Amino acid sequence: MIPLENFLLLSAVLFAIGFYGVLARRSAILILMSVELMLAAVSINLVAFAAYLDADGLTGMIFAIFVITIAAAEVGLALGIVLRLYRERRTANVDAADELRW
Amino acid sequence: MGMEQAWLLPAIPVALFVVVALFGRFLPREGDWLVIAGMAATVVVGLAIILDFQGYFEGGAFAPAGENHYAFEWAAIADVLAIDFSTYVDSITVVMIAVVTVVALMVMIYSVGYMHGEARYGWYFALLSFFTAAMLLLVVSGNLLQLYLAWEAVGLASYLLIGFYWERQSAAEAAKKAFITTRVGDVGLLIGIILLWRASGTFEIQEIIALAQSGGFDETYLTVSMLFLFAGAAGKSAQFPLHVWLPDAMEGPTPVSALIHAATMVVAGVYLVARMLPVFDTVLVARDVVLYVGLLTALMAATMGLVASDIKRVLAYSTVSQLGFMFVALGAGAVTAAMFHLFTHAFFKSLLFLGSGSVIHATGRQHVEQLGGLWSKMPVTGWTFLVGSLALAGLAPLAGFWSKDEILYASLSEGGAVVYVTLGATAALTALYTTRLVLLTFFGRPRDAQAHDHAHESPAVMTLPLLTLAALSLVAGVVAFDGVGELLGFAGGIGYLVFTDTAHAFEFHPDIAAAATASSLLAIAVGLAYWRGAAERAERARAWAPELHRLFVERYYIDHLYQGVIDRVVLGLGGVVAWVDDRIVNRTGVDGGAQGVGYAGLRLKFLQTGRIPNYALAMALGIVTLALVAFGAS
Repeated sequence: MIPLENFLLLSAVLFAIGFYGVLARRSAILILMSVELMLAAVSINLVAFAAYLDADGLTGMIFAIFVITIAAAEVGLALGIVLRLYRERRTANVDAADELRW
Repeated sequence: MGMEQAWLLPAIPVALFVVVALFGRFLPREGDWLVIAGMAATVVVGLAIILDFQGYFEGGAFAPAGENHYAFEWAAIADVLAIDFSTYVDSITVVMIAVVTVVALMVMIYSVGYMHGEARYGWYFALLSFFTAAMLLLVVSGNLLQLYLAWEAVGLASYLLIGFYWERQSAAEAAKKAFITTRVGDVGLLIGIILLWRASGTFEIQEIIALAQSGGFDETYLTVSMLFLFAGAAGKSAQFPLHVWLPDAMEGPTPVSALIHAATMVVAGVYLVARMLPVFDTVLVARDVVLYVGLLTALMAATMGLVASDIKRVLAYSTVSQLGFMFVALGAGAVTAAMFHLFTHAFFKSLLFLGSGSVIHATGRQHVEQLGGLWSKMPVTGWTFLVGSLALAGLAPLAGFWSKDEILYASLSEGGAVVYVTLGATAALTALYTTRLVLLTFFGRPRDAQAHDHAHESPAVMTLPLLTLAALSLVAGVVAFDGVGELLGFAGGIGYLVFTDTAHAFEFHPDIAAAATASSLLAIAVGLAYWRGAAERAERARAWAPELHRLFVERYYIDHLYQGVIDRVVLGLGGVVAWVDDRIVNRTGVDGGAQGVGYAGLRLKFLQTGRIPNYALAMALGIVTLALVAFGAS
């Protein structure tokens, strides 16, 4: 059987990659993809814990399904915003949208 | 009905105050008849209480065995403080009840004529009723805190009535002056009450007296407490140095001056000291202060009354002076003489005030320079005024003669020769300024022809109270005689009624009476010589000692001194406080804080880049920091 630590390691690596992507990328699409990676990492965490530590319960599993649902909705909304941004600025670079400061 | 119903005395007028103040404008005649009827009922209750009170006299001593004291709990803080609402009736109370109810009734009837057609007529009567209620509550109070409540209530009523014509600037200012000046004394009274409570744990007057007589207080502590108490009395009774408000208080309607500023409220201080005299007797230093303050006030006020030109102001100074007489008597330990003089003075001084009101009502003038020659025009007012004046001057057999004799005797036997001579000279001055007032008002050449032509005798509703009070001024003095006292159902004269240690029969002192009468007659003769006929002689008197005249006219510069202190010290300190408030609290503290935040925002806003990765990085660093802290802690 695959030990729990492997799953957690995978999750951590995936989260770190996603996090790096959010910080380093300038393209809104890529940032969104990185956010999806981070969410996937969290979902893996939840499912792994549910399978290993709470064999009878379904809490973790259901939580993971919620995360997927919310993520889908979030991407739908975010892509709409990115589309508007692109139509306004002819670019999807987030550095171009810095008006909301002072 | 009897002493246990003493609570009715304040209850009836205060109920009518509420009714007339709220619904007076819906009542016929704005409710004046209601107030007067209530006052008549109060007089009846007062009479019943006095009759009941007589039943507790045995062998010349008042032996009530507690029936004269009724109390119910008013407020309590467990184990700390229990305040009763109580009524207490003894001989001093009885004298006060008689004076207050009778004079109040007379003044109210008189006011129907005097205030006829004035604006706020109903409100005026409501205020009279409120004042009477507060005054009666004051005199039946069994404990000091309740007395203080009533004390402030009469002050409030006085303020409202002095400022009754508040459209007039001078009236509004006089009301303010009276309120603030008496408040200075009242703070002293409150401090005194608290000091007595702190040492004795009770507000009950009789318990405090008993404790003081058994030596339960530290002597210095008690002296200080009683001096504070006397400060309150001096404020209310217009004694030096708090006398300045009473002459200005004449801005109020004249019947108010007769009721409040002659017969009742201003004697509250005398009443308080008389009530606490057994305590003063244990600390003679405080009692001496009472004596000398009274003596100084009596003399000063008499000299000021000598030169005042406003007829009501002359009477006001006279009141201050006569109150000084009463305090001298109290300072000499002669409660009998003080209460006797209070009793007679109430009648003849309210008579004089009402008489001056009649003159003002008829002529519309109140400066003696504009009066004169009214004797034939206003016979009733003139004759009654003359009776009051002779009583004030202390000529036999009028009321003032007997009580003044008692006071002079007390001052000689207790105060010594200096006090006696000073007081005797003041009595002569009293006769002198009274003569001047009568001559300038009623005799001589009319100095304002128009006012003189329009003058007419006042209506019966005003002259009847004058006649009643004149009759009382004629005969009130005879209560000193034991036979009269027995006839009225008492054990004897006033000496058997009001006393501290032992009852004593009335003693007539021929030598003192002869000296007093001679000096009064001499003063009247001098007055007649100076002010009879033309006013030029008075001018000559003025020229004789211009500095002295100026000193009296300027009221010893005391008002100027106070005004100077207020302008320089009080307003100066106020300016400092205002500066601190404006500059430091407001501009630096409040405005400065807001401006500091605004400026900081102006500068710090450039930290914001508006770029998402920066915020994300900051968030991430924050989370990492929190995580490190959390792990480090566990």
